[in-house]
Amino acid sequence: MTEHDDRQIREALKQSFPPMNTELRRDLWPAVLRKLDVHVAPVPWYDWALIGLSATVFLFFPQLILVFAYHL
Amino acid sequence: MDLLRRFALGEIDAFETLVRQFQGDIYGWIVRIVRDQSIAEDLSVETLWRIYRARQQFRPDGNFAAWARRIATNLALDHLRRKRSEQSLLAEPAAAPPPDQLLQRETREKIQQAFRRLPAKLQVAATLALVEEQPYDEIADALETSVGAVKLRVFRAVRILRKQLNHLGLGPGVART
Repeated sequence: MTEHDDRQIREALKQSFPPMNTELRRDLWPAVLRKLDVHVAPVPWYDWALIGLSATVFLFFPQLILVFAYHL
Repeated sequence: MDLLRRFALGEIDAFETLVRQFQGDIYGWIVRIVRDQSIAEDLSVETLWRIYRARQQFRPDGNFAAWARRIATNLALDHLRRKRSEQSLLAEPAAAPPPDQLLQRETREKIQQAFRRLPAKLQVAATLALVEEQPYDEIADALETSVGAVKLRVFRAVRILRKQLNHLGLGPGVART
């Protein structure tokens, strides 16, 4: 490949790809914020399981609420 | 406390300030690579989101713009790899060109076709160096490689293009058509 060939390829590429408008058309912050909100870490399943288990225990043995409260 | 330190600690206000400051640069860099404004906007949002998620890996005394550009480049590269076969690198004109421009248009399409067949890494290096004429050191930084490696990629891209254009019937003098 000669330097002349190289120059021709460069020239051909420049002619084939028009200059892009690199100006941003809108503020991206609202979209970024929405994406951040969507991806807020969900509560893991075992936390929900623990809450469910505690609620069931307290429903059948309400006196345990006082024991639980004492240890908090 | 300075802005970058507050960002690294996860302060959303600091991140918002950085987004407003750097979103134009990030978008401008991505659109040069993917050559599609809508896709570049989507990838910019994705880049900014990834930046926030990776904030703990950022050293507050480091160069935020360069770090952001590396993340943006990786995303753009992934996009090119995924869409290489179907994505048009050039917005087609809405109306049919005049007859005297038909040959020129055909040549351009062949060149684009050959360009799209390049491996994504070579395509990015060639786009930024040859079409966008970005400095080699900036390209190397964004691609997380050396200037020598970028020059080699550009050299390989030109060599492959030359072969493909010959194969498509566009021999020497291609630039003059």
